[in-house]
Order: sequence, then structure tokens, then C-alpha cells
Amino acid sequence: MPESTFLDVNELVLNMGPQHPSTHGVLRVILKLDGETVTGTECVIGYLHRGVEKIAENRTYIQFAPYVDRMDYVAAVSNGLGYCLAIEKLLNIEAPPRAQAVRVILTELNRITSHLLWLGTHALDIGAITPVFYCFRDREEALKIFENYCGARLTTHAFRIGGLQYEVYDGFEQEVRAFCDMFIPKVDEYEELLTNNRIWVNRLKGVGVLTGDECKEYGVTGPVLRAAGVKWDLRKAQPYSGYEQYDFDIPTAQNGDTYDRYTVRMEEMRQSVRIMRQAIEKIPAGPIMAKVGKVVKPPAGEAYVSIEAPKGELGYYVVSDNSTQPYRVRVRPPSFVNLQALDRMVRGGLIADVVAIIGTLDIVLGEVDR
Amino acid sequence: MADEEIPASAAPPAGAPPKVAAPKPAAAAAAGAHAPPKPPPAMAATPWDGPLTGSLKQAFGDQISQYSTYLGQNFVVANAEALDSILDFLKLEADFDYLVDITAVDYPKAEKRFELVYILYSFASNERLRIKIHVADGVKAPSAVHVHVGANWLEREVFDMFGVEFEGHPNMRRILLPEEWTGFPLRKEYSILKQDDRWVKENLGIESGH
Amino acid sequence: MVRLLKTIFLWDLLQGLWVTFRNQNPKYICTEQYPSERPKIAERYRGAPRLNINPDNGETLCIACNLCALACPENLIVVGSARNEETRRKELSYFTYDTSRCMFCGLCEDACPVDALELTQDFELASYTRDGAIWDRQMLEEGPKPSKYLS
Ligand code: SF4
Ligand code: SF4
Repeated sequence: MPESTFLDVNELVLNMGPQHPSTHGVLRVILKLDGETVTGTECVIGYLHRGVEKIAENRTYIQFAPYVDRMDYVAAVSNGLGYCLAIEKLLNIEAPPRAQAVRVILTELNRITSHLLWLGTHALDIGAITPVFYCFRDREEALKIFENYCGARLTTHAFRIGGLQYEVYDGFEQEVRAFCDMFIPKVDEYEELLTNNRIWVNRLKGVGVLTGDECKEYGVTGPVLRAAGVKWDLRKAQPYSGYEQYDFDIPTAQNGDTYDRYTVRMEEMRQSVRIMRQAIEKIPAGPIMAKVGKVVKPPAGEAYVSIEAPKGELGYYVVSDNSTQPYRVRVRPPSFVNLQALDRMVRGGLIADVVAIIGTLDIVLGEVDR
Repeated sequence: MADEEIPASAAPPAGAPPKVAAPKPAAAAAAGAHAPPKPPPAMAATPWDGPLTGSLKQAFGDQISQYSTYLGQNFVVANAEALDSILDFLKLEADFDYLVDITAVDYPKAEKRFELVYILYSFASNERLRIKIHVADGVKAPSAVHVHVGANWLEREVFDMFGVEFEGHPNMRRILLPEEWTGFPLRKEYSILKQDDRWVKENLGIESGH
Repeated sequence: MVRLLKTIFLWDLLQGLWVTFRNQNPKYICTEQYPSERPKIAERYRGAPRLNINPDNGETLCIACNLCALACPENLIVVGSARNEETRRKELSYFTYDTSRCMFCGLCEDACPVDALELTQDFELASYTRDGAIWDRQMLEEGPKPSKYLS
């Protein structure tokens, strides 16, 4: 290139991660910069790839259940619910009503813990240190309920195919109720800290806009889609596990920017509390396990079942060949698909916003890489 | 694992002799974890007929060979060449504007061993539809990227795990595994303990990972 | 006008600071002073494994049925058994449990027909060597003995 000197090149390629505090794990983003403007990105993922889908083919249906907890490890209960529902669909059975109610309570509790972790780390990325302490303090209360219920805090393995393994413990209702009462003022407190804070607002408003149509194009789901004004939630659209009995709203926002995603998630936590309050009042009596043999052996066939995980649509596509091991399990991870939209969101923005946008996508690398 | 390993009977009372046969040595259990793949028995799907099938039949004729439903989930089996136009048709005419997932299933015994599954969803009618195409090993499948942008990474993952290449994909590279990796882990002949020993040795400096 | 004044006097920041200030109240302290203060562990906690022994005669409850080993997704339990010629019963000869690979899912515990294997509330499983993570029958029966640095 004789006619250009190195001074003409004003593009800078910057590597971010895989060990960067604000990439939430081991995400590596290669940024192409023009000054401070991002002109392109390339995500390098797979550092946490454990081959979950391959493991599934070598385990029995029951044995694979603990592994799904380890994909989205901050929302392990949701993962387990999706997996159990998928196998139940293949077996053509349904969990008894009591099990369904408990499942709903725990899944909503899990949604809160997941959102709290998101809020804390997201705020930390933006530079607000205080929320992370409060979030973890309150998340602890929810984790205690998990621990009391099933004996583990994070990778819970709470549900089994056909229902529940554990009956609720004494005092479960009171603890959940106490959590609900405690939690709503706390959400107000977080909002007091952040919603009007000028730094917070200026850092988030208008950053990383993704319109509803773009979301659909990329397959982005969950709070990101709802913040773009699409009122779509699998809990309402295709209710599972008895969600149709509960009265709740789907929070949406209009602009599809980072700030809107924040408000949507805050509202979602309130709605989760609302669902839990309704569910805890009427846990039906009865068995907690449907009739499932000790050996789970679904008839040959396939099913795709998806649930609304805290991050978006979490789907399981399971192919059975009438043996005790799945022939193929495919997980449709919401984080993986959502992360794909990162390029569209950061392009044209400033480099400082990349951190905010990765935070707002709420990805968990365990699920991106599986 | 064989069925008789975990008896279906209820737990015997304490002290009673166990009902299972003598335990297998642990080595057998580890080796038994990888049973040779056998052709799956057919699934009991029933034919599917609805308003959508009519328009699909009209538009594509014998390009779509099967309309089925199983457990209330509809799927069609199509020719690989027609995939593009089917996706396009479904997106524009039938509002299937959300490509949920692309994945593959490996049937090594079949003539065209890879079954690619496209899961679509329509926001307007709250409906799901699966499209399946079959491609043989080494044959390129058509890419869906110019119909659904979101297909990009999903196709890369299928390539990464199964080695199915997509014609017309802008960036057909591995996504989860390192780029120099050889072998496609989700193929049935790839055993669970297998890995690319050369890559592991070169990059991690250890003989093997297990 | 009110908004302008609020902007000038940094009302939003003061509001946030007030929240922080409120939370200074010592009654909100939730730090646990581990290890001098033992954390409260749930009854169902799935921690260190234990092979229960019959309190009456000190014999193991395990009937060497191997169900736990088969249920385990990680294949980490090895149960050895030998036939006792006198009582003509199968008896446990050895039992190893590799805690380094265990994910504490509880499937083995569920599978055990006589409640011999149990995941207990002990959570201090660290050891200095890799071999120390593989527990034999004796260790499983007696439980881990973590060194105590603070009384
Ligand atoms: S807890 Fe789970 S992983 Fe650990 S030994 Fe028991 S079954 Fe295996
Ligand atoms: S399942 Fe229980 S009784 Fe059977 S070998 Fe394991 S610990 Fe012993």
C-alpha cells in the first residue's frame, strides 16, 4: 500500500476479555474502533463449553437433570423446570397440581434471584457500587428458601421428572410470604437509588437500542424483547405449569434502550412477587409426583418445550428413541441467541457503552457456551 | 444403560436381600455409557391437516413430503433445496417471523444422516412449526441467514457440532470449539471421552484431558 | 421550576445517599463471621456424604446393593461386596466415593433403599491433595474432620 501511511489507518482493534470484570464471565469481545466509536464487534465464545448436549446422550433421562442446572447457573430452577416439562411432554404426563404450584413459586423466586444478580452486576458495571451489596443481601433470603427446600442454593436440582422430589418443609409458606413482604420495599429502595439518579439515567437512556422488529429478526426474547414494546411472554402466550391461573401483567416499555430494559426487569420482579403471593395462598393438597416409573423410558418421538426463563425463551428439543437415554437433547439457550444481537446494539455507539450493553443483555456464559 | 439396572419395584424393606443382580464392575459401567447407536424406532406421528398445510401444499407441492403432528406439535419434512423458499414463504405469508432454533440430529444409519430441524414461531397466531430437512454427510445445506438474521450463530453451532456446512453463510467458522479443533463432537461416532489430542497437547501442554 | 431546583440541588443523588444512609443501621448487618461463627445450615442441605451405621450394633446399614453407584450420573461411587459364607448374605467390603467429582445432586441418596447413604450438613470438604478427596468407607462413616483454626 504505497499511497497510504500508517497514519491513515484510524481503526483500532481492541480486545476485551475473556477475563474482563464486566464481561460477566469468560466472554471475549473483539472491538473495532474508530476513535471512541465502535464500528464492529466479534464475539469469541466457548471458553465454558462443557458439551452438555453430548453428556445428555450418555446419561439416562433422570441422570441428566442435574446437569441442566449448570447451564444458566443463576437460574437453575428454571432450567430444571424446562427440562422436566420437556420429558413430561414426551411421556405425555403432567405434574400434579400441588407440584405445579410449588414449581411456580420456586421458579418465580428464581426469577427474582436472577434479576437481582443482574441488577447488582449491571449497576456495578455502570459504576454504582452500592446496589450490588443490597441485591446480594436480599438474594440471600431467597437462596435460603431454596436451601431449606431442596438442600442446595444455586444448582438446586429441585424438580424431578413427573413432579417434585421433596415435599415442602414446615414453614415454607411463612418464609415465602415473609420474603414477599420484605422484598417489595427493597425493590422500591433500589429504584430510589437508581431510577432517578442522573448518572444512571444518562448512562442508560438511548443506549443500545433494539427495536421490536430487530428483536424478532434476531430471535431475541425475554425482557429485551418486552422493553422494545412487544408484549410477549411465554407464561401468557403458551402457559405451562398452571401459569394460566395466576393474574399478572407483562411489563413492557417502548424505546427498547438499556434504561427501558432496566425498568422492565424491575417491574418483572414485582410481578413475580404478585404471582408468588397468589400461588402460596392456594397450594392444592395432593400428591407431588405423577406416576413415573423408576426408569424413565419415553416412547420414540420428539418434542420441543420452551418456558419463559429469566433471560428469555429457554427451549428443550428432545428426541427419544424409546430407550432410557435421550437420543438427542438440544437446548435453545436464550443467552446465546440474545448475545448475537450485541453487534447490532453496540455498532455506532461509544466504547463505554459496550459494558452497559453487555450488562443489560443479562447473559450467563454458562448458558451461552453450555 | 440397560433397563434392569434400576428395578422398577419399590424399595425393599430394610435388611431384605436386594433384588438386583450382582453389581457390574465399574469398568463395564463406564464403557456401557456409550452404547452403539441404533436406528430409532419410528415415532407415532399422525398426519397434520390445517389451514396452513393447504397453502403450503399449494405453494410447494411435492417439495414438502410429510405433514405430521406429534404430541400436538406440528412439523413438516421438506426437501433441502426448497428450504429457503419455504422459510421465506412462511415469514412473509404466514407470519412465522421468529426463528426459534436451528439444530440437527444425527442418524448415522440413514442415507442422509443429518436431520436439520428449524423451529419457527409466529407471534401473530401463537403457533409453532418445525421444518425438517435431511442432508447427507459432506453435502452443504442452504443457509437461512438472509431470511432470518438470527440464523447466523445457530448455523455456526450446527457446523461446529455436526460438521454440516451451510451454503451462503457469511462466516462459516467454528463458534464454541477452538478453530483448529478437528472432529465434530455431536456426531454419534464421537465418543464422549474423545477429544482432539493433538490440539490439547499443543495448546494446553498435557497429554490428555482425562 | 421544581425540577430545576431538584436538578440544581442534586436531589436525585441525595435521595440515593439517604437510602445508603438508612442502611447504615446496625440492625441491617448481615455479614456472617465464618469460621468463628458457624453458619446456619438447612436441614436438607446436601453436603458431605455419610454412610450411616446402625446405632444399635455399630454395623453398617448398607446392604451393598449398588443402586447408588448406578444412579450416580458421574459414576463416582464404587461399591465392593463379598458374600459372607456364614450368614449367606452379601456384605459390604469397600465403598469409595470421589467427592472431587460429585455434584451433590442427591440422586444417590434418593436411590438408596435403606437410607444408608446420606448427604449431610457438613460442608467443609477441602483437602490438601487430590487423593484426599476420594473418601473410603471409614471416612464416610466417621465424617470429615476439618482442621480447626479457631476454637
Ligand atoms: S450426589 Fe450426585 S454426583 Fe454425587 S455421588 Fe450422589 S449421585 Fe453422584
Ligand atoms: S444404595 Fe445404599 S445400600 Fe445400596 S450400596 Fe448404595 S449405600 Fe449401600
